[in-house]
Amino acid sequence: MKTIAFEEAEKSFSGRKILRNLSAVCLSGQITAAVGPNGSGKSTLLKLAGHFMLPDSGSVTVREEDAVLKGEALRMSIAYMSPELRLYPRLTARENLSFFLGLRGVPIDDRLYGDVLNRVGMLPETIERTRVGEFSTGMRQRLLFGLMLASNADIWLLDEPGANLDDEGRAMMLREMRRGAEENKLILLATNDSRERGAADEAIDLSEH
Amino acid sequence: MRPSTFQSIKLVLRKEITTGLRFRAAWAAMLMFSFTSLVCISFALAGTAAEPKLLAALLWVLLFFSSLAGSDRVFSDEEADGTLMALRVYAPSQAVLFGKLLYEFFVLTVITVFLLPLFIVLLGAETKEMLLLLCTVGAGLWGISAAGTLLSALIVGAGVRSGLFSVLMLPVILPVFIPAIRLTEAAFGGTVVSLNFLGGILLYDMILSVGASILFDYIWYAE
Repeated sequence: MKTIAFEEAEKSFSGRKILRNLSAVCLSGQITAAVGPNGSGKSTLLKLAGHFMLPDSGSVTVREEDAVLKGEALRMSIAYMSPELRLYPRLTARENLSFFLGLRGVPIDDRLYGDVLNRVGMLPETIERTRVGEFSTGMRQRLLFGLMLASNADIWLLDEPGANLDDEGRAMMLREMRRGAEENKLILLATNDSRERGAADEAIDLSEH
Repeated sequence: MRPSTFQSIKLVLRKEITTGLRFRAAWAAMLMFSFTSLVCISFALAGTAAEPKLLAALLWVLLFFSSLAGSDRVFSDEEADGTLMALRVYAPSQAVLFGKLLYEFFVLTVITVFLLPLFIVLLGAETKEMLLLLCTVGAGLWGISAAGTLLSALIVGAGVRSGLFSVLMLPVILPVFIPAIRLTEAAFGGTVVSLNFLGGILLYDMILSVGASILFDYIWYAE
């Protein structure tokens, strides 16, 4: 059982307070949506949750049972998707997956590669020799999602995961998020999409902070 | 199962080599820079026999500036491609540091293998102590690689640009350059020097590598 606890967390950029006195808890087995208008701090909240940045005051603690996860142990538990996160444009989809999954100790073979791509609605044979830099934005997004699915991470941090996806892609993503929650993953997403918000079990409304 | 640090370093190194070989412009820039500089020096000397001290200094100036043409890209290319965040999420700090350091060492070694024979031929450098020269160059390149990798990470982490890498690189690498020039001078038949200079470079290389390893955790994990 993993949890992310925000305790009176605050964050400012260039003197402008983005998050003010935020307290919330996200739990394994649940989809939690961070919602709020543009600039309300949704992406910042995800970065704080993954310890990619630190709060100015307050704390953000990730726990597995009673143990606090930090450093490498925390990173190994996390998968993160965001518009600013990209895969290597000069590598193929398989080379990218092989590299990133290898770092997580997940060796990729033909079966896993095919399974991952099928789950995210991509055909392995059509992209075998294509470098990721030549993919459309939606294909890149699907591949990133596939990487997250295969990474065995227990915490999914998703920043606008449906952005650039077609209707079928959004449906796939919602389906996989629910499946992830049923497998006891902790899923925290930042979204403005009403369908993604509707699919969440809990919400953190940042317009109040 | 979590891969060992050694396996992760191998993965990062293999990725660096694959992406590096597919980005030929970077290689062309470094190789052409070193070749053009060497040809200019060769024309300037116009066949006159240069002193070993001058030859040694010229060799290290060439190696230093050739490395500058590529070292600051160790992390900034990742940032420009938007892949730095993915690397931060999935890769452990020590694997990134040493994978990139080894790749940088590999790049500098390739440049040196290209440059050194041309340097000896074009500038008429008579090598009296080839083993000493190779050991000095190897130790010096490791120091440049370690310093370059760490500084590149620091600069990307600090979000600062505009020539800061070159400004910081010189004082950090000076303890390598001074003895390396003395040793190279000796290898080219100049004054005899103590091998303690080589020991000094190796010791500084070790301090740079261990220091980079300790510091890099703080850069990689915001804790």
